[in-house]
Amino acid sequence: MARTVADIADFTPIFVRYDVKIAPKKRGAEDVSADPVLQAIARGVVDGDEDVVSDATDKAIAAKGPETVIDTLIAGMREVSKLWDDGVYFLPQVILSSDALMVGLTKAEDAMGGKATKKGTVVMHCAHGDIHDIGKNIAAALIRANGFLVIDLGSDVPEDTVVKAIKDNKAHLVTGTALMTTTMSAFAKISDMLKKEGVELPFVCGGGAVSEEYVTSYDMGVYADVAKDGPGFAADASSGMSWQDMRAKWNLVV
Amino acid sequence: MPKYTSMAYKSWDDMIFGTAPHPVSIGIGPIELGKKHVYPQIVPHPRPGSEATKEKILREYQRMTDDALGRCVALGFPGLVIEFEHIYQMTSQPEWAAAIFTQAKGQMQDYYDKYGLKSALVSTVADLRKPDMVHMRHSQELDWMLASFESTAAGGADVLSIESMGGKEVFDYAVQRQDIKGVIFGIGVLSSRDMEWLWQKIVATAKKNNITPGGDTDCARGNTAMFLAGGYTATDLPHTFAALARACSAARSLVAYEQGATGPSKDCAYEDPIIKAITGVPISMEGVASACAHSEMQSNIVSAVVDLWSNEAVEYHDMFAGSSVEVFTEILGYNVAQMNAAIELGTAKELRDINIASDKYRDVHGFMLSPDNAYEIGKAIVSKVDSYYLRSKAAVLKTADLIAADKKLVLTEHEREALDKARKEVDQLPDNEGDFVDMCLSEYKKVPGFDPTSYGY
Repeated sequence: MARTVADIADFTPIFVRYDVKIAPKKRGAEDVSADPVLQAIARGVVDGDEDVVSDATDKAIAAKGPETVIDTLIAGMREVSKLWDDGVYFLPQVILSSDALMVGLTKAEDAMGGKATKKGTVVMHCAHGDIHDIGKNIAAALIRANGFLVIDLGSDVPEDTVVKAIKDNKAHLVTGTALMTTTMSAFAKISDMLKKEGVELPFVCGGGAVSEEYVTSYDMGVYADVAKDGPGFAADASSGMSWQDMRAKWNLVV
Repeated sequence: MPKYTSMAYKSWDDMIFGTAPHPVSIGIGPIELGKKHVYPQIVPHPRPGSEATKEKILREYQRMTDDALGRCVALGFPGLVIEFEHIYQMTSQPEWAAAIFTQAKGQMQDYYDKYGLKSALVSTVADLRKPDMVHMRHSQELDWMLASFESTAAGGADVLSIESMGGKEVFDYAVQRQDIKGVIFGIGVLSSRDMEWLWQKIVATAKKNNITPGGDTDCARGNTAMFLAGGYTATDLPHTFAALARACSAARSLVAYEQGATGPSKDCAYEDPIIKAITGVPISMEGVASACAHSEMQSNIVSAVVDLWSNEAVEYHDMFAGSSVEVFTEILGYNVAQMNAAIELGTAKELRDINIASDKYRDVHGFMLSPDNAYEIGKAIVSKVDSYYLRSKAAVLKTADLIAADKKLVLTEHEREALDKARKEVDQLPDNEGDFVDMCLSEYKKVPGFDPTSYGY
């Protein structure tokens, strides 16, 4: 019989290391182009290497045009998403890839003389009185990297500022995050204000102590559990899906 | 103020729950922490909507306090610490906070007068200074905080604590990119400097009101990393990287005690076993009963050297067995009854070792907070007395070495790669604080809202 933790040879009666059981085999990304310069762009995105993306983008804009560069950046990011889905990449690798993508995208858009066509517009904020924004920032990076325009209002945002931003930007989706239950009541106020203004759009809320029960208690509310789902919400809203249909898809509707 | 240069214990094995080399007496009774007894600490949180008016919030706190005290008497618990972690509306309206604390203290006095129930009240002011939005040393938010410390101290708080926010802007940027240099700068340097500045004011307020300056927690950074790391199936942050961030947390949270805090420490400071090893102050920890607030991988091991056993936060709701505050007071009360029974039976070390065996090898966070390893990390910290940077760096290197050396701690390939990468990057960092700070000020000026003058640069 073991007398101390040092004497225990087998811990499986105490805990099971499921993470070891499910650890994926390490693998790289698929190539996205036979062209070496374009592949360098994609590789730079996959590796999260801003310098490589910057250099390759400069070369490719002259040779292939900015639209081709943007397509390649997005293709590289798609490979990153696959690696994340398979558990090969963790979030930091995705964020670094997103940073690298934005370097290339900015250069390509400068060369075009304007913004590339976005899939949709998302207004994001942290609730009035709440300053816990890391979840919002992660979601914003992921949504932006998936081709959407993000209007990030920051933290501790008054309700009327959110409503104005939605109207001014003709947003397809608005998101709200809060850590504290005593600040999330701002979401219901925003919902009421939007209704009075005759504006209706999906309002995705989540974070900390925010619950599905609360978010689905007011009109337009759709509950989000994890930041990773951000691009999926943005895609649904931009495709014209109603908040009722999004709630039915993403939430447990009783 | 002088920095710690030695450990409070000769050996890690001397560390045990319920006993601390530097006991603290707080509140009504009083509650004596560190004198061979563990007390429960309930942290009730009001329901959404109750913050709408002063009358509503007072009523909510009145009911929560009465529920907690009443359940203690019903079940025969010897004493209770109640912590109010301020909601935004309390710190931004110090007169609300004062009324809430005065009301609660009156209830606690009534229970003592009627039943002899010992109790104490902790005021944890909300740090409303978001570093990328306001100046840390000159802002309306700081004025509110200082006024709220004062109003709750005068209103009946026995302990002042905080979860301070310094360095959060750089840390958040760095942790999302698994950048150990930025984590050391954010936690080890910026947050430490902010604490040194802020805690002089907190200690002065406590002394003026003849109450206890408790402690600080690296919640805004260390717990963010820990929660991103999550459980076995999460892929937001390697667990090894979160453990290295926690090593910085210990070097950082030590600053409160160097500025005059005496404990009890803040419950969500998971770095506290290291803090206790260095300082000998009584520590508050949250473990299994904080499952109502969050999930974690070291719920039992963090009780090994605890003095005040907490639940982090429970929102006020009805449950089958009464309100959530009554239920969690009961859970905590029975948890500590088991610990106190072990103390009386002379089997405290056996119970401590059972809890160590439960979690030491479940995850790297529990591994590094195991008292033996916490002690070694503490020794690395106090070996570097000249610099907040160097002691954080030393803590990170020691933690990395401990993780790498213990063959019973199984790491996945991804976890080991993350550890090796961070270790290599730290090895290449400068040997003095000036060079490191110059490098970081240049690199992290790209972080939105980062203002070096907030930290006295």
